[in-house]
Amino acid sequence: MKFPIQPRSIAFRLIVAVLAVELLSSILVVVLSFGYERHIHFRAFDVMLHGRADSILGAVQDADDPDDNVMLDQADLNIPPDDVYEVYELGGRLLGRSANWQGAGASVPQHPWGDFSQTILNGHHYRILRMQGSRTVDPAVKGGTVHQVIVVYGSPTRHVWHVIRSAVEFYAAGSILLLIVTGPLIAWLLHRGLLPLRQLASLASQVSVDSWQFSPPASARSTPELAPLTHAIESVLQRLEHSFLQQRAFVSDAAHELKTAVAVIKSSLQLLTMKRRSAQEYQAGLERCLADSMRLESLVADMLTLARAESSSPATAPEPTTDLTACINQAVTQLETLATLRNVQVHLKETDLSGKGTGLSAKGTGLCAKGTGLSAKGTDFSGKGTGLSTKETDLSTKETDFSVKGTGFSPYIDPVESVGALAPEGIQLPIAPEDCGLLVCNLLLNALQHSPSGSIVEITLAVESNQTQSTAVLQIQDHGDGIPAEALPHVFDRFYRGDPSRTRTTGGTGLGLSISKAIVTRAGGSISIASQPDPTQANQGTTVTVRLPILN
Amino acid sequence: MRVLLVEDEVRLADNLATALRDGPGFAVDWAEDGQAGDDCACNLCYDLIVLDLMLPKLDGLSLLKRLRSRKDSTPVLILTAKDGADSIIQLLNAGADDYLAKPFDLGELIARAKALIRRGKGAAHPTLSVLGLTVNTLEQTVVRNGVFVDLSPTEYRVLEYLIHRPRVIVSKRELLEHLYDYNWEHHSNVIEVHVSNLRKKLDAVLSECGAEPDPIIETMRGRGYRLAPSLPMNADQSPEPAASSAPIPEQGQ
Repeated sequence: MKFPIQPRSIAFRLIVAVLAVELLSSILVVVLSFGYERHIHFRAFDVMLHGRADSILGAVQDADDPDDNVMLDQADLNIPPDDVYEVYELGGRLLGRSANWQGAGASVPQHPWGDFSQTILNGHHYRILRMQGSRTVDPAVKGGTVHQVIVVYGSPTRHVWHVIRSAVEFYAAGSILLLIVTGPLIAWLLHRGLLPLRQLASLASQVSVDSWQFSPPASARSTPELAPLTHAIESVLQRLEHSFLQQRAFVSDAAHELKTAVAVIKSSLQLLTMKRRSAQEYQAGLERCLADSMRLESLVADMLTLARAESSSPATAPEPTTDLTACINQAVTQLETLATLRNVQVHLKETDLSGKGTGLSAKGTGLCAKGTGLSAKGTDFSGKGTGLSTKETDLSTKETDFSVKGTGFSPYIDPVESVGALAPEGIQLPIAPEDCGLLVCNLLLNALQHSPSGSIVEITLAVESNQTQSTAVLQIQDHGDGIPAEALPHVFDRFYRGDPSRTRTTGGTGLGLSISKAIVTRAGGSISIASQPDPTQANQGTTVTVRLPILN
Repeated sequence: MRVLLVEDEVRLADNLATALRDGPGFAVDWAEDGQAGDDCACNLCYDLIVLDLMLPKLDGLSLLKRLRSRKDSTPVLILTAKDGADSIIQLLNAGADDYLAKPFDLGELIARAKALIRRGKGAAHPTLSVLGLTVNTLEQTVVRNGVFVDLSPTEYRVLEYLIHRPRVIVSKRELLEHLYDYNWEHHSNVIEVHVSNLRKKLDAVLSECGAEPDPIIETMRGRGYRLAPSLPMNADQSPEPAASSAPIPEQGQ
């Protein structure tokens, strides 16, 4: 079984780490002090041994016998009772030894590194010094006799060890005391040191949906460890607040729109009941109510569409694909009645920026076919499109070109490119077909609604390619009044209406561009809008540009 | 009575205007955004402003604040889709007189509109009486000395306006401004005709029941009209504060 490791608090971990380091260093101190004390005390001990051995050597005296021998005079020796000694002449003759020792004899080894050795006598550790000295007997008489004498002197070491041990014990006890004292001290210091962190946490915990106020203390901002955290909290809160307020604004706006729509229906109905009316009046009133209900219905449908487009993530569903060119054709077909009604011409134009998308020309013929349908319906269009530049596919006037050449856009695309084309699939986009239709329809509808009678809406489709990614660039341009510069940043806002009185009368819900943006964003593309509201400029009108990644 | 309706939703504005015209017979001007509403309100010819909160160009609250900052005391009825006490408190503190939350009841709107107009003119009760002349503003009926007087809608509106300001000289221009919306062609003789008819009908009732003729509407040549000139100062129907600046007529006229 595997138990989850309970993460300890940072303070606890820091305290343990510091105490461990302290323990380690106190052990080191104890070991070092042991070595040092031993060295010092044994040096003193050795000096003492030398002194005692020297005094033993001093006790070796002339024996006053004819052979000029030497003897050990033990009477004057003042030696601690535990010490042992032994004196030899170099030849091996024993001169004397202490009473409490049998002696090691002359065999006490001469160590190469010194004159000391260890041994155990009577159950005690002894340190033995073997010292060689010389004694001259009767130096005044015929030069005297020189006797080489070996003194072996030993003394028990337990006193030394006792001193060393007590010194080491002192150091150890000091270290433990230090550990005991520093543990709580560090805990207290850490507690104090982490105070800004706790303050930050308590400040951050006070942030709620109703109060987004988060003002970190200046100390937290200037502390190097806390600054990134503070910054992160601040920016997260800002983003959260922004999106929350946006959401709240949306709910409030949606409520306003819905309530207004309901108020319209309710007041229409109540108006009917206010007094007795004729059958025709009731009829007209009911028709108005029906129209009002349909407006409410489309508002609800748009809100649901927006919610769907914004909520579902692209990863959930299997990648749907849509052919953009087919989608455009469909949208144009759907809206050709409205275009005719408003007396607006729709021009389809295709450019190829990369040279890769040569297959578009084949699809382009499809566009032309649809387009001719448009021009046939709008009977008075044919004369108007003649003033256009030759790059544009003016459907009504160039119709004959296509019927003759039959190869689509060959007059407008480099012939070398289109010759190599082999009926490819067109432009496949990672969008669901209904979303793509909605996107193109919304944009085209907007353009048509904002176009004055007799003007042109241009749909331009291009493919931009680099090494990794091909992008479809769809531009829909109208020549209407344009959007004032101050309104331009808000056009994608939900329920935003550039000119309320106009769009209310055209029946827009103010959600079309929001839905379009949500669809494009979900497909990984971008949408932008440019507008020239100044009627004195030649290119007056609005251009919506949609960039969408093409599936390979 | 003339009402300014500031509402950007075309269909709702249509319905409200129709209801206010058909029901209590108000003249209604419609402004579709806050700026236009503010411009209209500057004319000071309205007895009530019905104001939506969410408006393009200038929102309702800002309009209200502008209105009150230039000492315009016209009653304001707010239409709001926002719930919550905070926004309502803010509105009332900014000088709104009443509010209605969408979706509202049309009948309630009309009742509140009438009440606000009444209050704005210093009357607490929907029935106004001066010197035996009683006007019921709910049923839109007029009774003089216990006899019912049958009036045309315009005649009734003239009388309703005058009876809110007894003893005060009301100019033809003021009557025009408060009884017709700006789509109406302003011909002052229209008022003369209506007032003359009204006076005739009111006096006819007196002669019917045999009382002495007592012209209750006095024409001040070149200045306007005055209802109940013989009303004493300490009558029930005390003059509203605005009337204090008007010339006070002599007693017994």
